[in-house]
Amino acid sequence: MLEPVMFTGGVYKHDLVIELVEDLGGYVLQRNVTQSEVILLLLVPTEDQAALQALTGELRGELVRAPLAGTEVAVVTPTLAIHHLPHTACDIAEYLRRHGAKSNMIGLARGVGRDIAQITEYEAGLINEHDAVVFIFGNFAECIRKKESLYRNISVPVVVTGGPEMPASDLPYAFEYVPAVGRISHRARKATEIGTLDRIIAAVARALDRTRAEIAKDPLTTSPPRVMDAVREQVPEVEYSYSPLPIALNLNGVRVKLPFEEYKDAVEAVTFDEGVRLKEIAAIKPSRMKDYILVRILPASETGFVF
Amino acid sequence: MDPMEVFKVEATGQEEFGARKYREIIMDILQDLGLIRSIGRLYVYIDIEKPVFAVRGLLRTGIPPLTVKDVGDVLKVEGGYQIKINDEEHMADLLNVLWDHYGRERVEQPVRDVVIIASDTPPSELVVADLEAEFMQDLTDALVRIAPEGFRNRRNEMAKDSFFFIAAEETLKPELILEVKEKIRSMENA
Repeated sequence: MLEPVMFTGGVYKHDLVIELVEDLGGYVLQRNVTQSEVILLLLVPTEDQAALQALTGELRGELVRAPLAGTEVAVVTPTLAIHHLPHTACDIAEYLRRHGAKSNMIGLARGVGRDIAQITEYEAGLINEHDAVVFIFGNFAECIRKKESLYRNISVPVVVTGGPEMPASDLPYAFEYVPAVGRISHRARKATEIGTLDRIIAAVARALDRTRAEIAKDPLTTSPPRVMDAVREQVPEVEYSYSPLPIALNLNGVRVKLPFEEYKDAVEAVTFDEGVRLKEIAAIKPSRMKDYILVRILPASETGFVF
Repeated sequence: MDPMEVFKVEATGQEEFGARKYREIIMDILQDLGLIRSIGRLYVYIDIEKPVFAVRGLLRTGIPPLTVKDVGDVLKVEGGYQIKINDEEHMADLLNVLWDHYGRERVEQPVRDVVIIASDTPPSELVVADLEAEFMQDLTDALVRIAPEGFRNRRNEMAKDSFFFIAAEETLKPELILEVKEKIRSMENA
């Protein structure tokens, strides 16, 4: 069992951490260097965590659990106008990021209003590429009820946030509803506001756990971090991608941030130690995000084996 | 405590939370734009069933126009007048006014905060900026920000000492405007 953790420490000797994680059979999901500090998102075998903890202590670093690591969460606002941004949406996106998730902010083109709110097929498709989604709504209960049409056709778990207290029965299509957010025109700084952000994180974590449980019933042929590692090794061009995270992890695959037409064949041809090629165990298709490559690992029931 | 004499927010239906929150939003936005001291009374009416959003405000008027002597010290010097600028915020407006009035060739700016005019008439009483007009512009901006997003049919009636703003998703019909005005009048008389 791999445990998601976040290492924060100095740049000096941080390669020892990376080496140790690789020796233990773990994965480095993301490496962010900011001047003299480095933040590493790691997956480490649970039984070997003590070794990493000891090394972290030696390097005067900090190791915390990042429950959302290896997932991508969309933060959706009805538009990108001043009414929703920056405060609430940025606070939520940043808080998700601090807990290890890769958060993407999406502003709908025509999501405003009570009666006129709409979502396009493209937007729904883009949101469905994530592992979970947080919809940020306003202060009126009536509006939040009506705006259900925006997320009714979303297939990933939807966490809805809004202002007023509302019973769950009012929002049958939402995975969970987190009140006390709504439209706010200042940054979250009070203890109660930070507490609300924690509740959103908890709701997202529960949503991801449900997806994990569903995947466990019919396990994936191989794990997404392993695909990420193999792609990184065998398609070295990915390291030259301008994206801060050239390979984004999802619970059921990865998104490789290279042009689809040019690199599709290279990604399909990625071979594992067992002699299996990626195209035999995964569906490789164009992503809705720019012209990236979306890799969706097939479950054991379709390929007939797990490795 | 509210800096305004009267500040009422009324929402129909079970939307007490929304009314309370909009009170906070309005305060935040007016404070951000530095408008709160110029508004005496504010009445907000929200009917989310229609849906419509309306604000009526009474202004604390009497902001005098900004003259040259308000932005700097005017001194008589040999061959004209010198203005030592204290408030650079309106520098561009000041230069424009001086150029218009005296002509470019008679206005000289040897250093950043000093302007010398070659003329016998003092510039002290020239109007640099009409603060009231600027205030009205800022107020319109604030109202557009305050109104819930998506309420894109708007009407704004500005008078010297009051304003009435209404926004809705659907077309604004005269009957609706009259009805909302009546509601706000009853809030004022309550």
